[in-house]
Amino acid sequence: MAWAKEGHEAAFRELVRRYERPVFSLLYRMVRDRALAEDLAQETFIKVLNGIKSYRPEFKFSSWIFKIANNAGIDHLRRKSLDTLSLDGSPDAATPEEMGATALQLGDKAETPLQELEARELGTVIERAIARLRPEYRACILLRHVEGYAYEEIAEMLDLPLGTVKTYIHRARNELRGYLADKRE
Amino acid sequence: MNPTPMPHLTSEEIELWAQGILGAARAMHLADCSLCRAEAEQERKVILELAQLRRFAPSPDFADRVMAKVRIPTRSGEFTP
Repeated sequence: MAWAKEGHEAAFRELVRRYERPVFSLLYRMVRDRALAEDLAQETFIKVLNGIKSYRPEFKFSSWIFKIANNAGIDHLRRKSLDTLSLDGSPDAATPEEMGATALQLGDKAETPLQELEARELGTVIERAIARLRPEYRACILLRHVEGYAYEEIAEMLDLPLGTVKTYIHRARNELRGYLADKRE
Repeated sequence: MNPTPMPHLTSEEIELWAQGILGAARAMHLADCSLCRAEAEQERKVILELAQLRRFAPSPDFADRVMAKVRIPTRSGEFTP
């Protein structure tokens, strides 16, 4: 980190190499779109590395980078929820014909190789169960049980009270148990 | 008079048990309490599944794309490129 703060390109590359998989994995599981997750991960690293001079060593570097990655993911999901098209067509449509014309068409396109890869990577029972969690629960449970961070570190990363993190993780595990039990019965 | 029953395990205690680091007193409660055992077994399965999730890799040129957009400060305080 000291090296990176002094501006050594090799140190910057090493930070990217060390964190690209965990940061990309978190974002990929949040947005479930490879290209978009790469864009958000790239945005995260550029923000972190361009702001490296403001990094305060009393905080863990991993906490800082995950905080920025999580914010990028959550911001995207919030924007997306505002832009979501109804499956039934535009809310402004006045007639059934207009509704039909503006309805989102599903299943009429062949999958691209990238979509096939995404379906393979995120198509397992546990991945589909994670996808059904609220984004806030998803980030907490992934940071806790995939990345292995302590509750206190997650609270710091996500700017949440410790009690809220504990509640989110508890609820997320309960929901996962329910989904997994349903799928396996 | 019967002693006061021990409270059931919390979510955090179940995690400790799944990691093999639950204290002896609480482990004794777990051994005696079928409700806690059933709950803990189910929780452990979920925790194990999550812990085994793979880490995905971005595209091979990811680091190059990042580095192309990063301003690297020099010792004199200027930026490259």
